[in-house]
Amino acid sequence: MKKKNIKMEPILFHTFNTILMILICIMMLYPFWNTIVVSFNDAMDSLKGGITLWPRKFSTYSYETVFKNELLLTAAINSVARTVISTVLGVFVSALIGFVLSRPEFLWRKFVTAFFLVTMYVSGGLIPTYFLIKDLHLLNSFWVYIFPTLISVFNVIIVKSFMQQLPDSLVEAGKVDGAGYFKCFLHIVLPCCKPVLATVGLWCAVGAWNQWFDTFLYCSGESRLTTLQYEMMKMLSSAMNASAQRDPAAALAGQMSSVTMVTPASMRAAVTVVAAVPILVVYPFLQKYFVKGVMLGAVKG
Amino acid sequence: MQGKHTMKKKSAKQRSIEKKSAKQRSIEKKSSESKYVEKQYTEKQLRWYKLIGKYKSQKELFFMIIPCMIFTFIFCYMPLRGWIMAFQNFKPGKGYRGSKFVGLQQFEFLFKDKTFWQSLRNTLVMSTMNLVIGTVVALIFALLLNEIRQVGRKRIVQTISYLPHFLSWIIVCSLAADILSTTNSGVVNNLLLKLGIIDSPILFLGTKKYFWWIYVLINIWKEMGWNTIIYIAAMAGIDQSLYEAAEIDGANRYQKMWHITLPGIRPTIIVILIMNLGWILNTSFEIPYLLGQGLVLDVSETLDLFVLRYGIKNGNFSLGTAGGLFKSFISIILVSATTWFANHKSDEQIM
Amino acid sequence: MKRYKKAIALFLTATTVLSMAGCKSKEKKVDSDDAKATETTKVPATATPEPTKETADPTAGPGTDEKDADFLLENPYGGLVKLDDADDPITFKVFIRDPKQAPASDNPVINKITELTGVTIEWEFLVGDLEQKEGVMIAGEDYPDAIFAGDHAPKFIDAGAFIPLEDKIPNYKLLPYIYDEKQEAKMTAPDGHKYILEIYGAQNNPSPVFRAPNAGFYIQKAVLEEAGYPIPRTLDEYFKLIEDYKAKHPQIDGVDTIGFEILTNDSWRDFCLRNPAQHLMGAGNDGDAYVDLNTMKSSYYQISDSAHNYYKKLNEEYHKGIIPAETLTENYDQYIARLTSGAVLGMFDQYWNFMSADNVLLVDGKPERSYIAVPITDPGVPDGYLDAKTGKITGNNGIGITKNCKDPDRLMKFYDYILQREVQDYLLWGEEGKDWNYDADGIDRTQTPERRALMRDEAKNRDLTGNVLWNFCPKRQGLYNDGTPCTPEDSASEFVAGLSEYDQKFLKAYGFKYPAEMLSDPIVRPDYFPLYAFPIEDGSPAKVANQKMNDIIRRYFPQLIVCDADKYESLWQEMLDEFANNDLQPYLDEIDRQIATYNK
Repeated sequence: MKKKNIKMEPILFHTFNTILMILICIMMLYPFWNTIVVSFNDAMDSLKGGITLWPRKFSTYSYETVFKNELLLTAAINSVARTVISTVLGVFVSALIGFVLSRPEFLWRKFVTAFFLVTMYVSGGLIPTYFLIKDLHLLNSFWVYIFPTLISVFNVIIVKSFMQQLPDSLVEAGKVDGAGYFKCFLHIVLPCCKPVLATVGLWCAVGAWNQWFDTFLYCSGESRLTTLQYEMMKMLSSAMNASAQRDPAAALAGQMSSVTMVTPASMRAAVTVVAAVPILVVYPFLQKYFVKGVMLGAVKG
Repeated sequence: MQGKHTMKKKSAKQRSIEKKSAKQRSIEKKSSESKYVEKQYTEKQLRWYKLIGKYKSQKELFFMIIPCMIFTFIFCYMPLRGWIMAFQNFKPGKGYRGSKFVGLQQFEFLFKDKTFWQSLRNTLVMSTMNLVIGTVVALIFALLLNEIRQVGRKRIVQTISYLPHFLSWIIVCSLAADILSTTNSGVVNNLLLKLGIIDSPILFLGTKKYFWWIYVLINIWKEMGWNTIIYIAAMAGIDQSLYEAAEIDGANRYQKMWHITLPGIRPTIIVILIMNLGWILNTSFEIPYLLGQGLVLDVSETLDLFVLRYGIKNGNFSLGTAGGLFKSFISIILVSATTWFANHKSDEQIM
Repeated sequence: MKRYKKAIALFLTATTVLSMAGCKSKEKKVDSDDAKATETTKVPATATPEPTKETADPTAGPGTDEKDADFLLENPYGGLVKLDDADDPITFKVFIRDPKQAPASDNPVINKITELTGVTIEWEFLVGDLEQKEGVMIAGEDYPDAIFAGDHAPKFIDAGAFIPLEDKIPNYKLLPYIYDEKQEAKMTAPDGHKYILEIYGAQNNPSPVFRAPNAGFYIQKAVLEEAGYPIPRTLDEYFKLIEDYKAKHPQIDGVDTIGFEILTNDSWRDFCLRNPAQHLMGAGNDGDAYVDLNTMKSSYYQISDSAHNYYKKLNEEYHKGIIPAETLTENYDQYIARLTSGAVLGMFDQYWNFMSADNVLLVDGKPERSYIAVPITDPGVPDGYLDAKTGKITGNNGIGITKNCKDPDRLMKFYDYILQREVQDYLLWGEEGKDWNYDADGIDRTQTPERRALMRDEAKNRDLTGNVLWNFCPKRQGLYNDGTPCTPEDSASEFVAGLSEYDQKFLKAYGFKYPAEMLSDPIVRPDYFPLYAFPIEDGSPAKVANQKMNDIIRRYFPQLIVCDADKYESLWQEMLDEFANNDLQPYLDEIDRQIATYNK
């Protein structure tokens, strides 16, 4: 604005940027679009491959198969419940630990940071974890979806790092007003961390939503505790198994065509769409927290 | 600043803010000493009281953190007793007590195998390439995204870019296999042929020299948008007045990016890099699993796949644990070293 | 409802039935070679009182309430009737190692069984990784009431999860009948107990072989048709046919013709690449080693001369352009997509693996593009693609009752009840007259077209018939004593009814009735067969050696195919060196040891 020689620059830059972004959008949209297309294509026809931008032979059979599942409603309720609870608790706990670790005066800061950090890189493995869950009587309990993954150290560190960026004067001002640490945390620090909390919330939500392994290990015998992802996995692996029947006798049953069938590819596509769409809605909803200047307003106010 | 503080707080703070100027430090020390000297305490008692005082003032912090530590201890540290399996020939039916102790046999099996070292090399190369290139690409994308002025458009681009994250690797890899194939659906080969860059289609997935790049590109394709989110969030936290000041100084777009935006999110970048460095031995095993075959096995085999095949797939939990232990060991060394380095090289506490 | 009565004077022993339903010439061999098996099958048949010679009219059966001696013989509980303890409901949880979907809760057939027996089976099908699931199950001793673990059963047995059944089986009526003496060897675990109620393959009267084998060199029917219906027997003849056809038809339906496809890029389906050599040597689909039937010693066929020549031939064909390079990087979906184009002339595969592609070709009205197996072997070696049915089980492929089971006796009684002919028919065939009918001879039977369509629709089959319950319980397979097939798969009529018009014409051109006639007579396998069902202890040197060996060939075979022709020998030598440098002997030693136990 100030100098004449850079006047052309914004136009050039924005043209370039727009073109690039359009290209990126096409690249990034394609796999998802293709998945939707395949999910609406006839399963037998999909076997021939080559389906790219539009269904060749439209069919909703894959979805009919998915929605026939009797446990779908239970599964959806459980998934939503675990996602909401995990996210709310997860964000709060991450912020809490992050806050403590971000206080430079905290006496055990180094030790506690290391204590948490190490857990990111060590794991006892499947069987010891199973024993623990069993000993805690969390098998076939809803809380097994919440507790083991409650503290995500990655999130803690991200939050902590963000909080360290906040001006020291924030907390100190609070303490002058006679507020304790917890009050400062709740009323001063938290509101300033909206962007990072939104990010961590997104991670928690997506992580909790996509989880099926814990259902598989800890709750598979209890159908009232099933989750959407687990049901989707179930249908998918059953579809994969049907076409890859290892028992020759059973596989040879059909010598001729069965026109109505699902294939791994069609099932995978439908299952992906059904499982992903509900969680995709979360992000646009959170995006308002990523707008510039959120924090600034908080500090000033 | 001093006036706002009580004595106790100042001395507590003093302990951690080591990089304050020596002068300032000596002033604080003097003032705190003088207060205690008046009450005629011995040196030892003095230190004790100081410490107790610090703990007292921070008791709220302890109340906040200790439950979380107990929780973490239960869920993350307790299962670590399972590490004993790495030194056993563990059979699920016999448990820890009944299984035979075999010392370092599992590790020996790993370290003696030449494919293990080959997979270790491949893992390191692929992870490093992915970490460096992936981070740079995500950052550039975040910066460019940040330049879009229309909020609506920005949100649309951002939302679209994170869609591939929700697809499974198997979907992404089979699309990639189609796109890279030498048949009619091989978009890349068709494009290169049309542009006259090549004369005959290239068998991308069957050529060793391309595999690592394909690995990185597929990773970027799937995860770039998702990885950008945290940088966008960090950028939202930068003080806007800095930009206003820079504009007044006549800084151009690139100068602002370089001098304000990037330094503003630097701690986030470093923290993420350090944490990811710890996972350098964990490649996404799906890509090598789905796209690796005989022709490229020398470069596609990864540590996780090796351990998967000889460990879990063979019901050998001990080998899996030994592999995990090895990875944990390397991770912790890497993370400690880089954390130490980062904390000492910069004037702020990174970790 | 007295279906078997229609079958008249049929105590045709299994032998006579075989020669009736099967193809004349070849069944002779089965009979003679299988004398032992037939003898044993006769035991229970003759030990039981002979069915009354009541010649009933097939269409008008006598009243349903009449339960005579023969009926009770095969329906000891009185058929599809309510049991005494049906009012005492009990639920058994059964874990199944395969990923499948459970039948709908309103499945009328299964609900009826529950009503009659009081037993509800709650299925838990595998989702995710079997090794992990069973790892935690065993470690935590959290077993359901019963487990179908397939070839993983030894792990549960070793962990003491299953209860011994040898003392219980004789207390029932049909269980001891289907698990008779001939199953003894495979049913008995190394510790001398019987833990597993095998659900696949136990046949009192084996059904004839009329299907093509699973594994084999497949070729497009159009190629054979154009060449005047020859039967290629060697690799040279096989590839000559393909080359000629490809030269004449460079494109099929606008797609470039592909001579030969090899599925290599798949974690476990790469048997298409690994297995051919054992078949060229005349063996069946045995496993990862070749067993010399004279010495009963095993060796690696992967490094045999046969293998050397086979991959060399592939190398030649690769350089001739018959095998595209692309095939070595293709994943399973791409492979199937290629086959569905109808432009692929041949491949080595197992039928179930590419069945979906074959189906697409039929639906598309290109039956001439579908595939048939041909008996390719090394020159002068008789082919061994077909297994004679002995009615023997392969071992460790059944249900184990766990020590956590609430009431093992009730569960076994339930299985015993299910084994009744009337119940079996109810679960699998449906209602006579509505869902299926006897042939004119009153012995064989076929499904109605509607029923056939229903059974092929996976979802309807699951939710409307008793198929899932039937499948995962001990079952009758092969033929009943009167010669009627127990399942649609054992029925020759049903098989022919399912063939397309083109296939019938195609077979007629050869003078065949069944595709199996394309190959040599079914071979009676030795007792140990097959190797792939051998339990190999996890983490043992044998298991590691097996994994190692597979890793080596996975790496070398594709390279052998694409390397320059003059580098072939040195690369082959390199692979032999790898075999020599790694300690691969433990696997062979272990299977030799296990084979020896069968010969005692």
